[in-house]
Amino acid sequence: MASGIVVSMKCKNAFEQIRRQKMHRYIILAIRGERQIEVEIVGPRDANYENFLEDLRKGGPEECRYAVYDYAYYHQCQGASSTCLKEKLFLMLWCPVQAKIKDKMLYSSSFAALKKDFIGVQKCIQATEMDEACRECVEDQLRSLDRD
Amino acid sequence: MSGGTMLYGGDEIGALVFDPGHHSLRVGYAQEDSPKAEIPSVVGIGAHAPETNLDPETKTDNNVTPNNADSRKFYVDTNYVNVPRSQMEVQTYMKDGMIDNWELFEKVIDYAYANVIQSEPEYHPVLFSEASWNVRNNREKLTELMFEKYNVPAFFLVKNAVLAAFSSGRATALVVDSGATHTSAVPVHEGYVLSQAVVKSPLGGDFLSRQCRQHLEKHGIDLSPVYRIASKDVVKERDNARFTLRKLPENLTQSWQTYMQQLLMQDFQMNVLQVLENPYDERVAAQIPTVHYEFPNGYHQEFGSERFKIAESLFDNAMLGAGQLASTSVGMCDADVRLSLFGSVVVTGGNTLIQGFPERLNRDLQLRAPSNTRLKMISANGTVERRFGAWIGGSILASIGTFQQMWISSQEYEEAGKSQVERKCP
Repeated sequence: MASGIVVSMKCKNAFEQIRRQKMHRYIILAIRGERQIEVEIVGPRDANYENFLEDLRKGGPEECRYAVYDYAYYHQCQGASSTCLKEKLFLMLWCPVQAKIKDKMLYSSSFAALKKDFIGVQKCIQATEMDEACRECVEDQLRSLDRD
Repeated sequence: MSGGTMLYGGDEIGALVFDPGHHSLRVGYAQEDSPKAEIPSVVGIGAHAPETNLDPETKTDNNVTPNNADSRKFYVDTNYVNVPRSQMEVQTYMKDGMIDNWELFEKVIDYAYANVIQSEPEYHPVLFSEASWNVRNNREKLTELMFEKYNVPAFFLVKNAVLAAFSSGRATALVVDSGATHTSAVPVHEGYVLSQAVVKSPLGGDFLSRQCRQHLEKHGIDLSPVYRIASKDVVKERDNARFTLRKLPENLTQSWQTYMQQLLMQDFQMNVLQVLENPYDERVAAQIPTVHYEFPNGYHQEFGSERFKIAESLFDNAMLGAGQLASTSVGMCDADVRLSLFGSVVVTGGNTLIQGFPERLNRDLQLRAPSNTRLKMISANGTVERRFGAWIGGSILASIGTFQQMWISSQEYEEAGKSQVERKCP
């Protein structure tokens, strides 16, 4: 079941820039005119997670958004003495509880289109409240993909 | 609308949304916040031929659908069904979450077009919701009915669990839906139902109604519904009721009386029952303030621990209670989606409005989920959103501009037939 909303070319380009060239830290996407998904904010490479959360909610507390974030953390493999830096891309569906049902519906039913076009995303995260979008929660989920 | 692929103007043409359930059929225009009408899922069937019926009430009835093949009369919607009539049987058209009696169902649809929508069916695309376990035969039959009989310009069928998940802002969710006849747990993954992992049990609102009735009858409480009462006196708590009976037509059928009593029980359970956050414990229950309820005949009393005891059966693990239902369903899914399902449990359905239902489900699931799982319950706060979750979802979906290309159009139906529904509405 899908809504028929499409992903704009600019989104795909921005995603490739983040995935292949590591040009940005994150991108925030929004549905425009009930027709297509477009880039709203591009986060510079040196931005941190707090900047990201701020930008995610920049539209207001009732606005839904999508986001792609290139998350970096140190991981220690079992048996290895040193740690290594890991970078993982996650795709987030941000539908705050206060959002209008219409927006929730639009964003959640169009999530599949985004997933289909963004190949190389390691984890999809759905969040309706801050406790699901916070750093710890996200990192937990990304780490759970690693083998110990 | 500019796209060449658009089949319909969408925004200009009001699509209709139908959400059939066991308790009622919700009908209304897309893009509105709540359904225009909620029609009970039962139809009254009178035995008399129209001309022999001299009941003054039915004479002015614009609702009667004359049927040439047999002279039975059909009564649809609360205002007509709830009137005592001699020899009127009450029958539902739903069975196991699916439309079963098509003849009666058509009567209700006829009624909806004539009295609720008040417009011709051929002008409005129609979006229907369906149970997640609906079978192919049924789906095709509905498609056929809408195109052949009602000549709708376009049609679409969506699983109600998907609509409920979307309207809570989730593409992946475990939808726990407790309705009139059953409670079900339906895993939705990226907008599609994982149909092999759907679990359902017959513990729903009607089951609670039966329990309430048994309990009250055991305590000698007279359960005369409103229609039988002509007048009543004010009495002290737990005093015998003093009331006079109304003069009723003869030969009221058993099915109608049972139906009316069930309505009373539904009111009782919504007002009185509550679920404890932990398994039932007499001592805990006794400490919670009692609730007062007055029956239609004037008898009234306080209800204490029994209101928890009755509701407890919804979470009875010996009978597949809601918590077990949900965890069983998740257990049947692939290991990699289990975490995300536990992370978004959507609670919907009229029966979940019983106080404490979501909290208790949360607790029961927490015990059953793996220890490090993040559990998240999502339930709409308002009564309307909870009861009409699927309808509201459908209403929005059908009004999205880009959705207009998803409909099965009458042209497509003519070219490829009813099997289109399997292809376009998986």
